[in-house]
Amino acid sequence: MNSLIVFIILIPLLSASVLGLSYMYSIKIQKVPRVFFTAIAVSAPLASLLLGVFFFFKMQGETKVFYYRAYKWLSIDGRDIDMAFMLDALSLFMVLFITFVGWLIHIYASGYMRDDDGYGKFFFYFNLFLASMLLLILADGPLIMFIGWEGVGLCSYLLISFYFEDEGNLKAGNKAFIANRVGDFGFIVGMSILFFYAGTYGFDYVHLAQEIPKVPTDILSYAGIALFVGAMGKSAQIPLFVWLPDAMAGPTPVSALIHAATMVTAGVYMVARFHFLYDLVPHVGLYIAYVGAVSSLFAALIACWQKDIKKILAYSTMSQLGYMFIAVGLGAYSSGLFHVFTHAFFKALLFMGAGAIIIALHHEQDIFKMGGMRHKAPMLFFVMLIATLAICGIPPFAGFFSKDEILLQAFAKQEYLLWLFGVLTAVLTAYYMFRLFFIVFYGSHVNTERVLHPLHKSITYPLIVLAVGSIFVGFLGLPQVLGGDNLIGQWLHDFAQVKPLHVGHTTEFMLMGLNVLAACVGIFIAYKKFFTCDLSIEHTMRGWAADKFYVDELYEKIFIQPYKILSQFIGNVLDLKIIDAVVMNSSLGFIKVGRFVSRMQSANTNFYALMMIGGLSVLCTYFLIVLE
Amino acid sequence: MEFGLLSLIIFLPFFVAMGVLFFPFSAQMTRNIAFATSVIILFLAFKIYYEFELTGYLQLREYHLWMKSYGINYSLGIDGFSLIIMMLIATLIPCAYLMLWDGRTKGYWVSMLLIQTGISGTLFSQDLILFYFFWEAMLLPVFMIIGMFGTGNRVHSTIKITIYTILGSLFMFVCILYLGVQFYHEYGLWSFEMSDLMVISTISRTESLWLFFGFMLAFAIKIPLFPFHTWLLETYSNSPTGGVFLLSSIMAKLGVYAIVRFMMPLFPKLYVEFAPYMMWLGIFGLLYFGIAALMQINIKKMFAYSSASHLGFIVAGIFSLNTYGLTGAAYLIIAHAMATGGIFLLIGKMEYSIGIKAIPALGGIAKQAPLFTTFFAIMLLCIIGLPGTNGFVSEFLIILGTFKFHPTAGIVSAFTVLVAAIFMFWMFQRVILQKTSNDISDMVDLNFKEVLGMLPLAVMIISMGVYPDFFLYKIEPTIQHYLINILHIGVK
Repeated sequence: MNSLIVFIILIPLLSASVLGLSYMYSIKIQKVPRVFFTAIAVSAPLASLLLGVFFFFKMQGETKVFYYRAYKWLSIDGRDIDMAFMLDALSLFMVLFITFVGWLIHIYASGYMRDDDGYGKFFFYFNLFLASMLLLILADGPLIMFIGWEGVGLCSYLLISFYFEDEGNLKAGNKAFIANRVGDFGFIVGMSILFFYAGTYGFDYVHLAQEIPKVPTDILSYAGIALFVGAMGKSAQIPLFVWLPDAMAGPTPVSALIHAATMVTAGVYMVARFHFLYDLVPHVGLYIAYVGAVSSLFAALIACWQKDIKKILAYSTMSQLGYMFIAVGLGAYSSGLFHVFTHAFFKALLFMGAGAIIIALHHEQDIFKMGGMRHKAPMLFFVMLIATLAICGIPPFAGFFSKDEILLQAFAKQEYLLWLFGVLTAVLTAYYMFRLFFIVFYGSHVNTERVLHPLHKSITYPLIVLAVGSIFVGFLGLPQVLGGDNLIGQWLHDFAQVKPLHVGHTTEFMLMGLNVLAACVGIFIAYKKFFTCDLSIEHTMRGWAADKFYVDELYEKIFIQPYKILSQFIGNVLDLKIIDAVVMNSSLGFIKVGRFVSRMQSANTNFYALMMIGGLSVLCTYFLIVLE
Repeated sequence: MEFGLLSLIIFLPFFVAMGVLFFPFSAQMTRNIAFATSVIILFLAFKIYYEFELTGYLQLREYHLWMKSYGINYSLGIDGFSLIIMMLIATLIPCAYLMLWDGRTKGYWVSMLLIQTGISGTLFSQDLILFYFFWEAMLLPVFMIIGMFGTGNRVHSTIKITIYTILGSLFMFVCILYLGVQFYHEYGLWSFEMSDLMVISTISRTESLWLFFGFMLAFAIKIPLFPFHTWLLETYSNSPTGGVFLLSSIMAKLGVYAIVRFMMPLFPKLYVEFAPYMMWLGIFGLLYFGIAALMQINIKKMFAYSSASHLGFIVAGIFSLNTYGLTGAAYLIIAHAMATGGIFLLIGKMEYSIGIKAIPALGGIAKQAPLFTTFFAIMLLCIIGLPGTNGFVSEFLIILGTFKFHPTAGIVSAFTVLVAAIFMFWMFQRVILQKTSNDISDMVDLNFKEVLGMLPLAVMIISMGVYPDFFLYKIEPTIQHYLINILHIGVK
């Protein structure tokens, strides 16, 4: 029965293989009908979802954790690393929402990409991504997790540079992959540390968790930080965030699935998964929380000055990921994961809504060129309104509960600075999201007469489902103070707060009120500035935030250029002018000696006679001395 | 005693080559015969692989007296380490033939056959003189291939590589003779058998230092290690596809093989003493070549640097003195030979079709040749060590090995994941994906035969990455044997 866990991963993988092969068949030999691709592609996440639901019901029984060992992956130095899978509350939680949201995005993508030549290829990558993501989540140890970890990175690269004719997309893809590789470097170092210090009895989470308390704290800190470097790369935190905004070069369903709902949250998942490690090094956790807090404020600031709808959402994703890291850094894993969960709904919805707008407006991404969408696309207006309210944290929409829980945790732990960061970010979030909303839907545009591109049903239906989700999923984590049971918190109780919070109900209500107030302030400013925004005049964005604080330029100056110069120097100066020159000159030395020797054989009889006499006299003298 | 399977593997190509030379076969006929020969050898290799017992000792020994009065014998044997390299070569060569199928002359195919003899001989020899004989013999056909079928300033390249490698081999030859003489002095009879030379005890430290570095020079040039690498760039860029393929994916690996196979048993103390320096030299090479690769214009030069970078990593693995490093190095020899070999064959095809070598001038291949691109991408991902390919397994093991040796070394060597990815992805962008203004309409996609040639490599790369244990268990006892019986006892 437990072997069914494998199928959660295997079905998308198989589907990907079939799609890849039939795509190759389709372009090389004979065209394969699109419906074939669609059927195979869309059924895979559904099948995985159903398996997930099946395990959800099984988990209501006695067994809470399911293991399945497929085969021995590697056996070295007396240690075995198995290709094994673990399905516990956390992984099932992730599986359920990833396959569900993933399934909806698959449906959406089948409409979004319908006229694309690379339809089959797109879904091949998409399902390969899904398989890797599920492997990442279901792995029972860090090494197997890393296979999925890099797999999702590869798929992200492939999908960002999906339209590889354009150089910009390729650069964005490379940037994503390489920034992630910097993270992977950290991950590998972290794994190496754990392998030697805590992996004596096995390199899976269960054994690691048993061994880790015996490891000295400073070693654990190194491991914790190194692993977190991996999370910084994958989840786009300072300083490795630069790839995420550029990653929007990929088709919009990719941004929704990979760069908003699932892959980027892998870092948060990883920290939660290693809770047994991070619990022992709270100072590292605090560092993580601060990285998250600074990232979230930083990204929110940049988002306020962007014009590209997808870029705004990308920075907003980074900002929300920052919230999640505040939570997991403070040890409030279930709160962080709750935000991962609600975020998946409303952020996927925002991206898909944005994608629909982009398509409707014939691939326009600049918000200042949109405007007046309220009457032209009322359906989009409503779903985007719901998603925007959800991300801003207006009750009762999903984002309110999860964000509130995180800020409550920060406050209760007396990390008031973190809390302040969070509240400020909340103001900014409300501001930039409603800025986007007002401009796109209320702004008056000169081109109001243009005809919208019609939207296919497969695009609109998933939006409605997600909109419903964005309204209601927050109630799954309804806090006790509001009469709820915090089902999510209960489900993830292993990862929840060890110590109960010491905050009175009054304080809790006050904080809630403050959060709503913060959001309202942001909305109000946005309303004042942009509700009646005239889009016929040119809007240019200037300043540090609009130019993303020149981080790209800085990296170009301090990393990329010096690296290129170093490479030039090694290849063209050190190797060519110095090392090879020494080698070639020593061969020239041989030639010189040869010339000198050859000069002696000059065919000059007098010279030969002289040499003979000279030689003979030397020999004679020698013999005379010896014989004496 | 009869001649066994190993002799058959060594001499079958040789006799076929001789036979072919004496008959007026056409190039196509020669090629077909050569291909058939390589397939037969592949089957023989499989037979050996399955019958190989899980011990660390030599198997399938063959022993015949050759030059009796000087104790030089025809002595063959195979252990786990040579076994996997044999499998590698036996798999790679038929694949390469399929990729090189069209447009080669008879001389080319005869040279390829002869090379296989030289390589297998080097791999199986247990007598050092015999080893030296094959070591030099395998170079001759390579010189032929580069000199006759190369491009650019090929004669200069040929001379450069010849003098360079012969210089190294001569030092090694003198060292072998010196060891033989020492054995004679100590035991009163001549022998050049590996197992005999291992027991020499009368050599002073100074002498063994000279010998150690004499051997090391020969292997360092062949691999190549920093700073003996400058022959590589010119040779790689001027060689024809087959030549680069053989140099990069097979001969370079034999240099590493020889270090483990000969230097570890002969000089265990010095091996351990110099291990840190050699390991850091390897890591240095990894970074040095890896960084240099980025800005190369010529695609073959870029891969020459890439190859050298990984070989540095392999060397770091074999000098880490633990199971992780050695196993990883052995695995990376295989992984890298397949991936680099595959890439060079693909580049060769691209050069053959469109005749461009400069990276900035290339591009647009992906649209034109999707199958080509797919295989290219798989090889590339293996080189950068993506999990799911055998490249990852080996890189991770070497990182663990160096980490165990010293954490700093582990952390520095982990930079490989970054360095390789940077130049590889940038290259992939410019060469394969991005569109170009140049005319590349001559680029044709892989045909059926070429797919057949690439498929085994791709399948092996992935299956060795997904299920490494299945491939590692054959070599595990040998590595334990090297570490425990040879290195550990040798040092005491």
